[in-house]
Amino acid sequence: MFENVIDGIFSAVFLAAILRVTTPILLPSLGALISEKAGVLNIGLEGMMLSAAFTGVVVSAYSQDWFGAEAGTSIGPWLGLLFGVCVSLLMSFVLALFHLDLKGDLFLSGIALNIFGSSATVAIMFELTGDRGNTSTLASLQMPFIQLPEFINDIPLVGGFLFGVFDNQSVMTWLAFIAVFVVAFFLYRMPIGMHLRAVGENPEAAASVGINVKRIRYMALLISGFFAGLGGIHMSMGYLQLFQRDMTNGRGFIALVTPSLGGGTPIGTMVASSIFGFFDALGIRMGSLEIPSQLPQSIPYFATVLALVIYALQRRISQRVSEMRTASGASFDAQFWQAIQRISILHMLLMMFAVIGVVTSGAILAAPNGFGGEEAVLPGLAIGAASIALFVMGLPFVSDIFRIQKRWRESAAVTIVSLGAYLAIFLSLFASLPIALGIGLLASAAVWFMIGGRALADGK
Amino acid sequence: MNWARRQALLLVGIITGAVATLFITQTMFGGSVEKMTSTASWQNILLVNGLVGACILLFVVELRRGAIRVLLTVIVSLLLGFLVTFIFNLDEASRFERGEFRVQVVSEAEPTDNDEVDLRYNRARGGEFNKPNVVEPVNEVAWTFAGTSGDVVSLLAYAKNRRSPVDMLVELRDEAGAALAAATSATELQVDETFDDLVSSKDAVIEGYTLPADGVYTLYARPEDISAATTLSEAMNQSRLAFEALLLGPIERVNRWGVWIQDAITLILLGLSFAIVFRAQQFSLGAEGQLYFGALVSGIIALNSPHVPSVILIPFIILAASTAGFMYGLIPGALKAYLGANELVSTLMLNVIATRFFEMVLNFQLKPPTAGYVASDKFTANAVLPVIVEKTQVTIAVFILVVVVFLAWLLIRRTPLGYEIRIIGSNLRFADYGGVNSRRTIMLVMAISGIVAGLAGMHLANGIHRQLILNISFALAFEGVVVALLARLNVLVVPFTGLLYAYLRAGAQFMERDANVSFEVVRMIQAIIILLITAEALVSFFQARQKRADIDEAGHAVESLDEKPK
Repeated sequence: MFENVIDGIFSAVFLAAILRVTTPILLPSLGALISEKAGVLNIGLEGMMLSAAFTGVVVSAYSQDWFGAEAGTSIGPWLGLLFGVCVSLLMSFVLALFHLDLKGDLFLSGIALNIFGSSATVAIMFELTGDRGNTSTLASLQMPFIQLPEFINDIPLVGGFLFGVFDNQSVMTWLAFIAVFVVAFFLYRMPIGMHLRAVGENPEAAASVGINVKRIRYMALLISGFFAGLGGIHMSMGYLQLFQRDMTNGRGFIALVTPSLGGGTPIGTMVASSIFGFFDALGIRMGSLEIPSQLPQSIPYFATVLALVIYALQRRISQRVSEMRTASGASFDAQFWQAIQRISILHMLLMMFAVIGVVTSGAILAAPNGFGGEEAVLPGLAIGAASIALFVMGLPFVSDIFRIQKRWRESAAVTIVSLGAYLAIFLSLFASLPIALGIGLLASAAVWFMIGGRALADGK
Repeated sequence: MNWARRQALLLVGIITGAVATLFITQTMFGGSVEKMTSTASWQNILLVNGLVGACILLFVVELRRGAIRVLLTVIVSLLLGFLVTFIFNLDEASRFERGEFRVQVVSEAEPTDNDEVDLRYNRARGGEFNKPNVVEPVNEVAWTFAGTSGDVVSLLAYAKNRRSPVDMLVELRDEAGAALAAATSATELQVDETFDDLVSSKDAVIEGYTLPADGVYTLYARPEDISAATTLSEAMNQSRLAFEALLLGPIERVNRWGVWIQDAITLILLGLSFAIVFRAQQFSLGAEGQLYFGALVSGIIALNSPHVPSVILIPFIILAASTAGFMYGLIPGALKAYLGANELVSTLMLNVIATRFFEMVLNFQLKPPTAGYVASDKFTANAVLPVIVEKTQVTIAVFILVVVVFLAWLLIRRTPLGYEIRIIGSNLRFADYGGVNSRRTIMLVMAISGIVAGLAGMHLANGIHRQLILNISFALAFEGVVVALLARLNVLVVPFTGLLYAYLRAGAQFMERDANVSFEVVRMIQAIIILLITAEALVSFFQARQKRADIDEAGHAVESLDEKPK
């Protein structure tokens, strides 16, 4: 059973699923990124997504009445997209107005918009359909799905896989991943993007060189509303084909974290969103096993909390290192400390895996007959115990990076063994356990050596 | 503020409070003392109403001129809500175009033996206009009947029964299709006496028409066109009905009053939780998760101790629930204080984790194996908070609440920790320079707010539902934010704003029940309230820019920073 899950993870179907569930996180994340870069984090993404999702469904359903069945079906989705995004833009305009002109608190105005989005959609849905849960009675439409040309399937080796992953994805998915590069271009290659970043970093300084801070922030909030609208449209017209009450289910909030996890860059945001997409898809996949569905469902949230912690820790370490750089001047060995920093990130990631391991073992033990019943108890306990042990061993190195320098042998052992163990679990699918363990350990030793172990060993 | 003004303010507060108490009590019992004294546990009802009055007194005395602003905000938001309801109800008049109807040609003359017509004298025939969910709904009928010259006929078009709201129009046409006579209504005389079949004056009657020639005539009937005036007045009527239910519903009867009070208790607890944590300028939204943990822990204890006497069990449950809330608040607190993890995001994530954990435990451990729905067993009587007003779920939680409010006030205004909380809230850097251990304080304030949220969970589990159910909180947490904000983060004002807000929520339920206007309209009103409150005031409340000491609570805080408590 466990093998089924892991086999499934490396299948094209699963990767396609990841793309599909990443889209509604990635789109608002890009919005959050831009608003965060301008120093006005848009808390109202969730409400905007909901409103756009709902408007899209309603407009696409009614467009068949307005334009006749045939014309309505072809332009309906696009009309829904247009109106949905407009509603979202309107809401972000209200947010900007209340925050920038009426001097309201950004955080609370955002919450107000979330409440408004969640309640207004349900109230109007009730008026239109008499139903409070979803709009299944409306014949709403979906955004078109893009079919790949057949010849891709015929490419040797990778063709089938690529076709499986990318064929029949919603146009919104393509749009989302293309938007990542558009946003990157906007932020780093266009003057206005530079102004936007300047406003976020130091509004006073930006104002002093003649940048209109308020106008830039208005623009940033409107752009974030635009992306939230696209995300909402994907929820109701791509991911599903109807609107459900509160269907965004916290994605607007997850989107607030992904930019910081991705280091504040569009590409990083995409990676962070994909990680969430992965956990989401994994949760759905594990839902087919007989374990409490709540556990896999809460994995992304655990991951967010852990990622927040890692992010906060990492920020402190960078601060510490840069303080040291100022203090020690020329004698500062930049390469050595960068190596240490990289190794500390590895430590933290491994801690994160350890926590997920504990949760997984909890899942195995809590499920009365999940993961293969009685015989799963022992591996479950083993995974739990091993994860806790790795967690405890890693703790000293995470809490104080100087320990990595002082006790580098221990640190090396912990990182190599734990990374090797995780690699071995995956490799054991393809080879017998001892071989997998050997290869895993070798590979993780190589990783450790490459990311900084060499500098560490030399520097000592 | 001088002595005279203080006294005057107190007087205003007492009068408003007393008037409110009297008004609520009077409305509940229809103004009759006998009815009141014959109601079970009326003394306790009076006591609770007295407490409501006291909350109003505190509100006036604490917020002073700010009270007017809060009320204005609420009134403006309600007006906007009324507008929304009005717009939603604009289609209300269209019901006059729908419904089952009958038509009939009444005549004492001999019927002709023409078989090819649709109608015969004195035989009713009917159908339904604009039936919903039908591909091609009927919106008019033209039925023929045969007549002889000189026949005196009356043409009737009427709603099938009182439940069918359709407003009819009837026309008599000759063979060429030219209209001979038309009618859109019936007189009272016709409805009451002449024709038994008519149900209201909306039905249409052409009475006593003498047919000019032999031949086939057509009875044409359809719903009357709706005029703009009808549309507006119908929408207005419906909205008025809805808002009457919203504004007076909760104090009409004792059981409805109970819904209001029990909801208020939960909301006040949540509001206190937010007021405390926002006071230190920590935007923690963790109350929902803490509530779930409080509910879970108190529920588990309740389910596992069927024989412990209530006197021991209830205090123990209270203690356990607050500990659970404290511990779950400690997590984001420590993350924020010692690692700098954003408390907004971490609490939101922890909320989801707590909810899922609650669901999981409920589903796999607490649910009786045979039950077809996800809920625990009902608690035994010894674990349920004792009810003080019969026919409601108003329990001793009222008294617990009074104690909690007092303790919260003591904490914020009269302890060194409270002083540190206020000073961190007004200026973190200043607090650090002044030697406040701000990390410890931030962690503690988030945990302490968790205690109160845990108690709210206990009240939901052991006071209201008396079992553990899925979705026990129904996203109450955000409502708590509104309560705290309306109170301007003043723990003594929270009881009033909690009551006010719970009143709106209870009213919304009755509005939905009585007037078919969706409950969510009130949540929209809530969003508008937050927007308005933040726009006009949060600058001064969260950033302490406005230092005028005499206007409100923030001023209060600045004022009392000078006197550090011992």
